[in-house]
Amino acid sequence: MNGPLYRLKDIEVAYGAGEAVLRVSELEIARGGILGLAGHNGSGKSTLLKLLGFLLAQRSGSLEFDGVLVDACAHGGVHLLRRKAVLLGQDTCLLSRSVAANVAYGLKLRGLPASREAIANALALVGLDAGEYAGRSWRQLSGGEARRVALAARLILKPAALLLDEPTAGLDRASTEFVKAAVMAARAAYGTTLVLSSHDLGWLDSCADAVLTLDEGRIISGIEQGGSGTARPGPGSDLEGGHHVR
Amino acid sequence: MDYFSEGLTKAVALLLALDPETFSAVWATASVTALALAASLVLGLPLGFALGHFRFPGRRVARLFVDWMLSLPTVVIGLMVYALFTSRGPLGEWGLLFSLPGMAIGLTLLGLPIIIAMTATAVESTDVRLTQTVLSLGADRMQLLFATLSEARFAMALAAASAFGRIVSEVGIAMMVGGNIKWQTRTITTAIALETGKGEFASGIALGIVLMLVALVVNLVVGLLRSRAAADYRGCA
Repeated sequence: MNGPLYRLKDIEVAYGAGEAVLRVSELEIARGGILGLAGHNGSGKSTLLKLLGFLLAQRSGSLEFDGVLVDACAHGGVHLLRRKAVLLGQDTCLLSRSVAANVAYGLKLRGLPASREAIANALALVGLDAGEYAGRSWRQLSGGEARRVALAARLILKPAALLLDEPTAGLDRASTEFVKAAVMAARAAYGTTLVLSSHDLGWLDSCADAVLTLDEGRIISGIEQGGSGTARPGPGSDLEGGHHVR
Repeated sequence: MDYFSEGLTKAVALLLALDPETFSAVWATASVTALALAASLVLGLPLGFALGHFRFPGRRVARLFVDWMLSLPTVVIGLMVYALFTSRGPLGEWGLLFSLPGMAIGLTLLGLPIIIAMTATAVESTDVRLTQTVLSLGADRMQLLFATLSEARFAMALAAASAFGRIVSEVGIAMMVGGNIKWQTRTITTAIALETGKGEFASGIALGIVLMLVALVVNLVVGLLRSRAAADYRGCA
């Protein structure tokens, strides 16, 4: 299918009846692209990622995913959308079971078989040896290892969109490199669309087609990472990689 | 103390000889406990999940009602069930009074609030990040329910063990609704009360030994589950 993977228009997101915490006039995220999100803590990055992962619903505006207006199927089939757009939140959370069972869990939810080979491949992508780790309990993992297992549990799903909320925060250098390499490998192998939020601007600059900066729930600039490295501050533009923001 | 040691000796002899009257009471106890516990779990686990997971109007009132049911004296539950099942009561024609199913229904009213309250607390204690994680991986509502219950499995089992301990040792409901009929509705607890009243300490002690062994096992299981549940709630890494 052609066209952007996501199309957001006049979106407002609020928690309860309170003031809107996110406002997006217009945003298109291209298929197979990499969009970076930058901004201070509380700027709205996580809220935007939860919206894109269908864990939050907009209060107003329209959200289109893969050519389908989300409002139309939000009640009955929102879990089907979440199966295509998978979020790895800031707080890594594993189920209280083995590493292999954690990696296979998303496939189980979809009624799909999880072969040992698939689990081993997913673990290998994040730099973990299945022979050493697959049988371990979640209790026996360090914070960095747990984050990598959580990422493997998403990579095995080969989602259309992978939404990563500060995936390298709090990780040591080795784990950070494994996470970055795994994310790029998934994109190369499956054509997964990536939306990444990070305070590591160097990483975003080097890997993303475009980086949006958010502040107080609004996109305040769309910075294009072209081959020439030119920056185009301010919203209202077509961005490198087919993304569009206004 | 002679009567006590004599009673203890006779009790051991009754148990070793598989005394039919003693084991009839053990069987009746096992039957009604299994029925009541099964009903409490089938009804209580989804209700407890709903109470702990969803935010809905009247939730606090529902929680208060469950807590009130927890503290209800068992003789009052027995009285209410008796009033329902007696021949003049609204369910009199069902013939449940002085029957094992009737006792099981009464005992379910005892076990159900325990399961609901402990399940709701366990679900409330489940890390909110777990819900987000399971949903973000594509779970539908039923899968979320099973995932949450699975993550809180030791707390669930703790609830079941607590309800079991309460049901198996209950005397008021069993006496009022069951009627303590020999070979039919006489349970361990009602038999102990009767035999002690008659001065038959041996039978009472024999049944008491069975009940104490059950209580010991339940307490060991509860202790084990409590430590596993506490370990699990260290939860998300």
